[in-house]
Amino acid sequence: MEMPVPDARIMAKKAQLVSRLLEVLPRHAVIDDVAETRAYECDALAAYRCPPLCAVLPSSTNEVAAVLRICNDMGVPVVPRGSGTSLAGGALPTADCVILGVARLTDVLETNYDDRFIRVQSGRTNLSVTGAVEQDGFFYAPDPSSQLACAIAGNIAMNSGGAHCLKYGVTTNNLLGVTMVQMDGTILTIGGAHMDAGGLDLLGVICGSEGQLGVVTEATLRILPKPEGARPVLIGYDSNEVAGVCVSDIIKAGVLPVAIEFMDRPCIEATEAFAKAGYPMCEALLIIEVEGSPAEIDEQLAVIKAIAQRHNPVELREAADDDQAKRIWLGRKSAFGAMGQINDYMCLDGTIPVSELPYVLRRIGELSVEYGLGVGNVFHAGDGNMHPLILYNANTPGDLEKCEAMGADILRLCVEVGGCLTGEHGVGIEKRDLMHVQFTAADLEAQMVVKDVFDPKWLLNPAKVFPLDSSAGRRV
Amino acid sequence: MQTHFTPAQLTDPATKTANDILRACVHCGFCTATCPTYQVLGDELDSPRGRIYLIKDMLENNRVPDATTVKHIDRCLSCLACMTTCPSGVHYMHLVDHARAYIEKNYKRPLSDRALRWVLAQILPYPTRFRVALLLAKMGRPFRGLVPDPRLRAMLDMAPRTIPPVSRNDHPQTFATAQKKMRVALMTGCAQKALNTDINDATIRLLTRFGAQVVVAKGAGCCGALTHHMGKETQSHRAAAANIRAWTQEMDAGGLDAIVINTSGCGTTVKDYGHMFRNDPLAADAARVSAIAMDVSEVLMKLDLPTGAARGTKVAYHAACSLQHGQQIKTYPKVLLKKAGFTVLEPADSHLCCGSAGTYNLMQPEISGQLKTRKIATIEALQPDIIAAGNIGCMMQIGSGTGVPIVHTVELLDWATGGPQPPALTAPGKRTPAVPILR
Amino acid sequence: MLRPQTEQDLADAVAAAPAPLRIIGGGTRDFGRPVDGDPLCVAGLSGITLYEPGALTMVAQAGTPLTEIDAALTAKGQRLPFEPTDMRGLLGTTGTPTIGGVFATNASGPRRVQVGAARDFLLGVRYVDGRGTVVKNGGRVMKNVTGYDLVKLMAGSHGTLGVLTEVSFKVLPVPKAQATLTLPDLNEVDGLAAMSAALGSPFEVSGASQGMLSPDCRAPVFFRIEGFASSVAYRADQLSQLLARFGQVEVTTDPVASARIWEDIRDVSAFRDHAFVARMSIRPSTYPAFLFDAMNTFLSYSPKARGFDLMTDWGSGLVWVGATAEALTRNADVAPDPGSTDPQLLGARLLMDYLHSFCAVEGGHATLIKGPRTLREKIPSFQPEAASIAALTAALRARFDPRDLLNPGIML
Repeated sequence: MEMPVPDARIMAKKAQLVSRLLEVLPRHAVIDDVAETRAYECDALAAYRCPPLCAVLPSSTNEVAAVLRICNDMGVPVVPRGSGTSLAGGALPTADCVILGVARLTDVLETNYDDRFIRVQSGRTNLSVTGAVEQDGFFYAPDPSSQLACAIAGNIAMNSGGAHCLKYGVTTNNLLGVTMVQMDGTILTIGGAHMDAGGLDLLGVICGSEGQLGVVTEATLRILPKPEGARPVLIGYDSNEVAGVCVSDIIKAGVLPVAIEFMDRPCIEATEAFAKAGYPMCEALLIIEVEGSPAEIDEQLAVIKAIAQRHNPVELREAADDDQAKRIWLGRKSAFGAMGQINDYMCLDGTIPVSELPYVLRRIGELSVEYGLGVGNVFHAGDGNMHPLILYNANTPGDLEKCEAMGADILRLCVEVGGCLTGEHGVGIEKRDLMHVQFTAADLEAQMVVKDVFDPKWLLNPAKVFPLDSSAGRRV
Repeated sequence: MQTHFTPAQLTDPATKTANDILRACVHCGFCTATCPTYQVLGDELDSPRGRIYLIKDMLENNRVPDATTVKHIDRCLSCLACMTTCPSGVHYMHLVDHARAYIEKNYKRPLSDRALRWVLAQILPYPTRFRVALLLAKMGRPFRGLVPDPRLRAMLDMAPRTIPPVSRNDHPQTFATAQKKMRVALMTGCAQKALNTDINDATIRLLTRFGAQVVVAKGAGCCGALTHHMGKETQSHRAAAANIRAWTQEMDAGGLDAIVINTSGCGTTVKDYGHMFRNDPLAADAARVSAIAMDVSEVLMKLDLPTGAARGTKVAYHAACSLQHGQQIKTYPKVLLKKAGFTVLEPADSHLCCGSAGTYNLMQPEISGQLKTRKIATIEALQPDIIAAGNIGCMMQIGSGTGVPIVHTVELLDWATGGPQPPALTAPGKRTPAVPILR
Repeated sequence: MLRPQTEQDLADAVAAAPAPLRIIGGGTRDFGRPVDGDPLCVAGLSGITLYEPGALTMVAQAGTPLTEIDAALTAKGQRLPFEPTDMRGLLGTTGTPTIGGVFATNASGPRRVQVGAARDFLLGVRYVDGRGTVVKNGGRVMKNVTGYDLVKLMAGSHGTLGVLTEVSFKVLPVPKAQATLTLPDLNEVDGLAAMSAALGSPFEVSGASQGMLSPDCRAPVFFRIEGFASSVAYRADQLSQLLARFGQVEVTTDPVASARIWEDIRDVSAFRDHAFVARMSIRPSTYPAFLFDAMNTFLSYSPKARGFDLMTDWGSGLVWVGATAEALTRNADVAPDPGSTDPQLLGARLLMDYLHSFCAVEGGHATLIKGPRTLREKIPSFQPEAASIAALTAALRARFDPRDLLNPGIML
C-alpha cells in the first residue's frame, strides 16, 4: 500500500507545532511522545501502520476549531479519528500528520421524543446513543457490527450501515444535522432537527466523505420507536444458489424483513468451532429477522417459512423465545472473531446485485483456490453487501500482498457484475487505488471538486479515497 | 495482528504465550467501549487496545520500559471487562500480568513509587500487620492535610472508621454440618480478615446450614493477587504456592469438593494458579486447586437454598469485575438473592469497574475516584435499601461514598435463611434500611 | 427548445450552449425563481433500463414518465415508497411528471415521515454537468459508500449542478392493506401531541397530517397505517386506544377511500385555489409557536377574514401555508410600503419574509411553491442560507457549472 512520502519540512516543525497546540489544548490532550503516538498508528485495519507526528484529543468544538486553524496555518495534514474501528484504514495516519481524535466528545446534548431526535457529540459510540434513549422506548437505527465501539463521527464519515438497514436505511438516512469544523476553523451548522435540506443537500455529501470535508463534532440523529418485538428464523440450504433464490423470492413476495444475513460453509464451520451456536453444517445459512407485533411477526414468518420450504431447506428453525433468538444471532455476531481464531483476515465490503450472488460466490471460491488463501463469506443478503473474509498469515512474508491482490480481484468482480467496491466500510486506503475500476476520471474529478470547495488545501485526510495519481496535483 | 518476535525470543515460554495472545488480537477496538479508564480518559493509550500495543512494542524490542508505557499499564484496573467484550478471545489478563512482571523486573520506578509499593506489598497480605496499619491510619487521619502524596492521603481516607477484632473463625479448623452433602475448604483471605470479619462468619453459617462441611486449611493465606497485580512475581508465587500446598494436603487427606472463595478478586487468581504455575514443579497441584476453586455463589447454587417469601427489600447488586469478567459469573448472585426473596436491581453500566481494583484505589486515586463517583451515582439512581457485592474491595470502595449500607451477598443470604441481620445494616453513619423483620 | 434524445446529445447540447438553459422534464414543477433561458427538455431520454423486483431496484432514464414507472412497479406489487407529490393540481401545470423531475426536486409525500424522502431512495445518478461532461455517481445497489455521495447532492438541486440523465432507485413492496384513522376535530396543540404520540409509538404510522385549520384553529388529524390486513387491524386498534385521550377515533379501512385522503394531503389539494402557497420544514414541536406568532403577526390582523390557511404533514414537520390573493392584499397593510404599487405583491413578500425569518430563528426552511411570477422574480423562493453555507453552495455551483448555464438562480 503506497502512501505519500511524508513532508520532511512538516516533520521538522514538530516542536513548533506541539508548542502551538499546547497553547490551545491542555497537556493531556496532546500526545507527542514517540512511544505514545504509536498507539495511534492504525485503526482496525492493522495491516497498515504509520505513527503520526502527534495526536490531539480536544474536548469541545472550539478546541477542534483551534487545532484545525493551527494545522491549516502551518500546512499540516490532519487525519480525523473516531474510535479507530475502521476496517478500511480511514484513520490511518501519515508520518507528517496530526491525528485528531474525538473520543472525548461523548456528551448527549439534547433528547426530544416529540420531535424524535437526539443531539450528541460525535465521539459518542453508536450503541450508547441507543443506550441514551432506550429506556424511553426509542433507538438509533443504523447498527454497524462494531456499534459497541464505533463513534458517530466515524459512522458519519463512512456513512455506516449495518445488519438492519434493509428496513431502516444507513447513516445518511438517519442523520438530520451536524456541527462541522472546516479545515480553516470555520464552524458550520448544517441541517438541524427538521427534515431535508432547504438548499443544496450539503449534509448528504458530508455524510460518507470520510473525514475529508470537515470534522463533525456534533450530530442530530433521528431516533425511532422500538418495535414491539422481533424474531429471527434460521434457514439452512445445501446450495448458495438456492439460498439466493429464496432471498429474492421472499422480497418479491412483499415481505420486508429487517435483516437477511447469509453465511457460507467456511464461515459456518469456523463459527461453530468458536461460538458453538448450534448451527447446521450446510453450504448456506440464512438468518432472517422480522419485526412488529406478535401477530405481525407470525404472519410475516408464515410467508417466509412457506417460501423457504419450497426450496427444500436442510434446516428451518424459528426462535421460540428470546434465548433462542440470541442463539441464532450468536454465531453471526461471533463470525469475525471466529475467523480471527483461524488466522489473520482482511474483511472486504463489496456490494453486488442480489441476483449475482451465486455467480460471485462461485468465482470467489475459484479465486480462493487460485491464490491458496481461505475465504469465508458473511453477507447482508437483503441488500447485496458482502463481507468476504480472506484468511492470511500476517507473520508470513508475502502473504499480505497475496491477500491484497485477491481482495482486489474480488472487488473488481463486484464492480463487474454491477455492484461497487464498498457498501458500508468506506474506501479509506484499502480500496483507494481500485477507484479507477468503478469510476472514470470525470467521475472522480466531480467528487474531488467537492473537496476543493470544502478543503482547498487538501489537508484533511488527504491520502484517502482518491487514487494518489488522481489527487496528486491537489495534495500539497 | 502481525508480531515481530525473533525465533530466539519465542523460545522463552512467557514470550511465546504473549505472542499467541497478541496474534489473536485483530485490533478491532471493541474493548475500548467497555474499558473504564478509556471511558474516563478517552485516550487510546488508556484502553486495552492501546496497552496491548504498548506491551507488544516493549516485548518485541526487549525494551527497557519507559515511564509513559509504565504509566499507561499502571492505569489498567485489570477489571477484565475487555475480556468479556473481546470477540476474538484475546487473553488480556495473562498478557497484562506478564507485562507487569516484566516492568517490575526491568524498570526502576521513582523512589516514592517503590516505597509505596513495598509498603503495600509488606502490609496488605498480612492480616496482623494490616490491622496495625489500619489502627495507625486511624490515628493519622487528623493529620491528613500534612500528607503530601495524594496516594497516601487516599490510603488514610480508605481506612475504615471501625476495625473489627480478630475472628476466631478465621483460624484453621473444621466446621461441622448437620447433613453433609459436601466438604469444602474456605479461603479466609488476608486483607478481608482485617477489614470485615462478618463475611467469613456469614459464609460459614450459610454453608454449614445447607450441608457443606467447611474446613479452614492450615497454612493457607493470601492468594497472592495483590502482589501479582504489582508484578511482584516472587512474592505472589510464594503466597500462592503456600495455598496450593495447604489445599492439596487437605484434598489428599479428607477430600475436597470445592475451595470456596468469597472475595472474587482472590477467586480469579486462585482459578488462574494452573496458568501461573504451568512451568513450575507445582504445575499439577496448581491445576488441581484451580479446577475446584469456586466462588461462594457457585457452591451455593449447588446447595439448593430454599425459596424465600418476597420481602420488597430493594437490593442493588454490584457486580464485582473479578466475578463478572474475571470469572464470568454474572447471574448466580442475582439468582440467589432473588430466590431468597429480595428485589434485585442492577445499575446502568454494570459492566464498569467501581475503581477499587485491589490496590488501584490507593495507587491511582484520581481515576479511581471518578469511577467511584460514577458507580455510586448509577447505584443510588436505583434508590436501593441495600447494596450487595461479592468482593470486599468493592464494598470498601463503594461503601466509602454512599449512605446506603453495603454488605456481601452471603450476608444477605445468611440473614434470609435464619442468620443474624448483617451488622453493616445498622452501622453508624449508614441509612438503616426500612427492612421488614425477617424470620 | 432543445430536446435531446440521448445522453450524448444532451451533453453536446450543454457543451455547446451559448446561454443559460431552463431545464425541464415534464414541466409540472414550476417553482423557484423563474429562469430566463433556452428550454432544455429531458423528456426525450425515456425508458426503464432495468427493473429487478427481487432486489427492490429500478433504473430509468430521467425523462421517463412517472406513469410508466408506476405501472411497471404496480405490476410487480411494488411502488415508490416516498409517494412523490403531484404538483399539477396545485400549480395548474399540465405536462407529464418525470422521474428525473421527482428526484431533481426531492419531491416527497406524506410517507416521508416514516420511510424517508426521495433523496433517501435515490441510489445512483448519471448527469451532465455544466461543462457538458457526463458523470456517474452511486450505482444500482442499495448499499454503496464508494466515493462521495453526489447522489444526495444532485437530489433536490433543481438541475443547478447537472442535468440528470439516468436515475437508479430503491423501491418497496406495496403493503396488502391500509387504514386511515381520523380524529375529527382537534386544535393545533392537541393535533401535534396526537401526531407525536402516534409517531413515537411502535405501530408504524406511515402518515400523520392535520388538515386545513378552521378560523378557530381546529381541523381533523389523519393517521395512516399499512401492512398485512391482520396487522393493520391490530395496530388500528392499538392506536385508537393510544389516541383515545384526544377523542373518538374514526377508522377508514376502505382502501380507495383511505388512499384518496392521502392523495389529497400529498398534493395539497385544499390549497388549489390559493394564490400563494409555501411549505416549511420545521421541527414539529415549534409548530404551535409558529401558529401563535403568525396569528399575532398576520392572521389576527383581521380575525374574521379568511384566506390565510395552514395545514401540516409529517407530524407537523411540514407546514403548508396558503393565502388567497385577497388575503395577501389585506396583508399589505401590516407594513404599508408607499413605494409599492401592488399590494398583493407586498403582502406576499411580507408573508414569505416572515416564513423565512421564522425558520432562520427556529431552525428549518421555507420554500415558496406557488406565487405570482412577478413575486418569484423579486424575492427569494428558497430559504436564504447563512453566509458560510451560502459561500459553499456558490462555490460548488461555480465548480459544477462554471458557465452558470444550468437553471441559474432557480434556487434563490
